[in-house]
Amino acid sequence: MSESQVSVPLPVRLRFGHAAVQHLARQIGVDILHIKGAAVDPSLRPGNYAGSDVDVLVRPEHVPALDRAMRQHGWRLYSTFEYGSPFGHAQTYIHDAWGFIDLHRYFPGIRLEPERAFDVFWSDRQEIEIAAVGCLVPGLAAQAVLLLLNAARAPHQPRPDVSAAWRKASDEQRREIERLVGRLHAEVAFAAATGTLERHRDARDYRLWKVASEGGSRTEEWWARITAAPGVWAGLRVAARAPLVNVDHLAHRLGRIPRRRDIVLEFIRRPLRAVLEAARAIARKAVRR
Amino acid sequence: MNGYRPGDDVGIVDHEEKLYVAALPDGPIVVLDGISALIWDEACAGPRETLVDRVAALTTAAPEAIRAHVDGFVADLVARRLLQ
Repeated sequence: MSESQVSVPLPVRLRFGHAAVQHLARQIGVDILHIKGAAVDPSLRPGNYAGSDVDVLVRPEHVPALDRAMRQHGWRLYSTFEYGSPFGHAQTYIHDAWGFIDLHRYFPGIRLEPERAFDVFWSDRQEIEIAAVGCLVPGLAAQAVLLLLNAARAPHQPRPDVSAAWRKASDEQRREIERLVGRLHAEVAFAAATGTLERHRDARDYRLWKVASEGGSRTEEWWARITAAPGVWAGLRVAARAPLVNVDHLAHRLGRIPRRRDIVLEFIRRPLRAVLEAARAIARKAVRR
Repeated sequence: MNGYRPGDDVGIVDHEEKLYVAALPDGPIVVLDGISALIWDEACAGPRETLVDRVAALTTAAPEAIRAHVDGFVADLVARRLLQ
């Protein structure tokens, strides 16, 4: 018998990660749903791909309780909601035994309020066994929707799961997926995943999903986020954050906690990068003329 | 007398001929390979009092030669609350 000194294969570690966070959530009365990776139904997971981390969707009002409990049980915060992604939807933790876990407070592409969206998923939950622990997952149609919305954020990547979730789906399965997309108000992101985004050119978040699904410069991304924000104040809040330094990313790039000087240097570098991108865009337009 | 069973707060993964068990939610992950996985399986499969005999039969060993090792190993798993 040997303990964690020996290398534990990633698929094994991930299964324990699901089981550990489910065990903890059950202990403290927190509602979570396992999404992506090993939690996905095998029919939607070509090649049995189990992912590289654990992803859970948490009932939004339960996030603080789970965050507290996880920190008490050895998970360390790796990146925050604020800086973890342009959508601010998830924060990442790392645990010595279980590896990485992404805790989602909502899912990008869903415009229904996060609490109500969670209720939609929760109402159709199922239990599957991961590492001999009963883990709660969304229903099959909801799993397909989440995979498709996730694929909409992965530009230029081959996505066999999109094929399994949508292209190979039966007419009845497609109708069920579309009904759910409608309930979740996720039409634009869904269209980005299924190649029909241009039908939504007038949507507030069209540009955001255009950039997310096809790629774009940092400046384009920030403009798209400002346009997609619901209302002037939200847009300004996004705009105010744009020039700030992403301290989490900087820490991971440097491999240490950034010092004040690192943050100041990065603060200067980022606008320079934006200016450079703008200059390149102008140059590209001039060449086209 | 009943056999052993995995602890209430234990996760188990069977992967590529190795058994991985862990106390949840803190860990660590314990790897059971070869004879140790066999003892785990047998411990959960039948009465406690015949465990040594069953393991001996499966490994063509003399029960008295392995008794202390098997008992000590199982006692360790119980102490770690991996078995109960």
